[in-house]
Amino acid sequence: MRRFKLDGLKLGALLWAAGLALPFALDSSWVSIAAFFAIYAITALSEDVILGRAGMFDMGHAVYFGIGAYVTAILNTTLNVPILLTLPLAMLLAAAAGALLSAPLIRLRGDYLLVATIGFNAIFVLAMQNNPGGITGGSDGITGIGVPSLFGLQLESQSAMFWLDWALLGLVLLVMRNLDTCEFGRALRYLKQDELAASTLGVDARKVKTLAFALGAALAGLAGTLFAVQLSTVSPSSFVFTESVTLFAIVIVGGQGSIPGVLLGTALMFVVPQIFRSLAEYRYFVFGIAMIAVMVLRPQGLLPRKRSAA
Amino acid sequence: MSALLELDGVGISFGGLRAVDDLSFTVNEGQIVGLIGPNGAGKTTVFNMITGVYKPGAGAIRWQGNDITGAKPARIATLGLRRTFQTIRLFTEMSVFENVRAGYHLAARQRWWQGLLALPAQRGEEAELAARTHDILRRLDLESVADAPATALPYGVQRRVELARTLAGQPKLIILDEPAAGLNDAESAALNDTIFMIRETGVTILLVEHDMNVVMQVSDHIVVINFGRKIAEGNAVSIRADPAVIEAYLGREDDEAAAA
Ligand SMILES: Nc1ncnc2c1ncn2[C@@H]1O[C@H](COP(=O)(O)OP(=O)(O)O)[C@@H](O)[C@H]1O
Ligand SMILES: [Mg+2]
Repeated sequence: MRRFKLDGLKLGALLWAAGLALPFALDSSWVSIAAFFAIYAITALSEDVILGRAGMFDMGHAVYFGIGAYVTAILNTTLNVPILLTLPLAMLLAAAAGALLSAPLIRLRGDYLLVATIGFNAIFVLAMQNNPGGITGGSDGITGIGVPSLFGLQLESQSAMFWLDWALLGLVLLVMRNLDTCEFGRALRYLKQDELAASTLGVDARKVKTLAFALGAALAGLAGTLFAVQLSTVSPSSFVFTESVTLFAIVIVGGQGSIPGVLLGTALMFVVPQIFRSLAEYRYFVFGIAMIAVMVLRPQGLLPRKRSAA
Repeated sequence: MSALLELDGVGISFGGLRAVDDLSFTVNEGQIVGLIGPNGAGKTTVFNMITGVYKPGAGAIRWQGNDITGAKPARIATLGLRRTFQTIRLFTEMSVFENVRAGYHLAARQRWWQGLLALPAQRGEEAELAARTHDILRRLDLESVADAPATALPYGVQRRVELARTLAGQPKLIILDEPAAGLNDAESAALNDTIFMIRETGVTILLVEHDMNVVMQVSDHIVVINFGRKIAEGNAVSIRADPAVIEAYLGREDDEAAAA
């Protein structure tokens, strides 16, 4: 058992290291797709913290992704705050939003929580469109976001940005893996499977669930910063309800609580559509069918989480 | 002998039904106390009030003299009070090991961020708690099924896993809700042995059974309830001879005979 787990980690590390070479093998438009993959993978993993690990039906996860993107966009374009300095602030604000929004809802049953989080998403998009205080730029959003600089080095090229995204994806993957083997991560699984039994073992449901929401939102906020940098512009349309639905679907189709599953789901939902761009509208049709087929034939997801002994 | 748990005039209603009414009894340290009564008498409801799953509508529950009436289940657990469920509640998607490891939740001192960073202190604690989990698995003869999915095992084994999970919490008191339900004779005999073994380690036990015979064998003290009210209290001999108890059980059999 132990050997297998180490092998899984080694394989992951190997794949990640191989990924670093992508900019040498691909042209710039493909490197940009790889960068988007890294960004959406972080977002999907962050949804997995809330949905896959803790079992809370968060159908408004694009909100936290959006908060991260807007925090970076606003701070960088209005106050000239360096991008990498906006990153912790984006995470912090997204985490605060996640904790505050979820606090009154955390006791709700799954279906009620789902509807409430859809409401958050609708309000968020509306708020960004309405340009409160003139800081979000309305429907057009915010343009002219700068490039990150690291140790005086401007990360201008698409390859440099890709490496930044890839490095952060690596860190997020490590955190997700550690979540599997720590008390906090286990408490999420207890709550997901049987909240009453968990509470009689001393699991403080409110505290643990709030923390899960905050962590999931913080990681989504991190992805939001990277997203704003990658596009150098943000607008409300990137954070609409259908984005949340896609994130939700990635976790369910890929495999709840399964890192390889969520990565595969992200690839299927975001990368494959780029490859079949020419098929335009049909691709959603194909995806719809594929999603239904997976749920019917493999309801636990494409790469379900492995039961572990120790 | 000091009182560990006291119920003082405890009651609760569901709609119009008074499921438990003015119930008082005491569990002293080191005892095995049996709570018996016909089906629907309110035994599980009493356990749910003690463990914070239901909030009593009347009366007080005291733990070592402190009022804990209406405290939430997670807080009750911190007192060293653990329970099993009438319908076994194991984590279905977890192995036997993981289920028993869950009992150590409160023993884990690590903070969430230490876990996310896999700091050495956190890894050390994980190793220690895993070792302690294996100790309990060995003690309850579960080591050979440690990696098996918990809910794929026979009932008797699942009961033992649930017991092991409560013991992992290093409880002062465990309350067992019909642990013999669904077990065959051999399994329930083995269960009785396990209960005695647990008591040997200094753990106090409050036990619900609707089967009088099991309770008579293991209990130091017995409380009998019917329709939510206490009808008798004492040792096995006095309970067996109590007219109200005989009436409650025989009366129930009469009803069943009449219904059949
Ligand atoms: N949550 C509840 N809502 C409504 N009625 C309940 C609830 N819990 C228990 N009862 C009722 O309380 C009575 C006692 O039930 P219970 O405590 O389960 O009995 P026992 O465990 O002695 O068989 C029954 O009539 C039962 O239907
Ligand atoms: Mg019962």
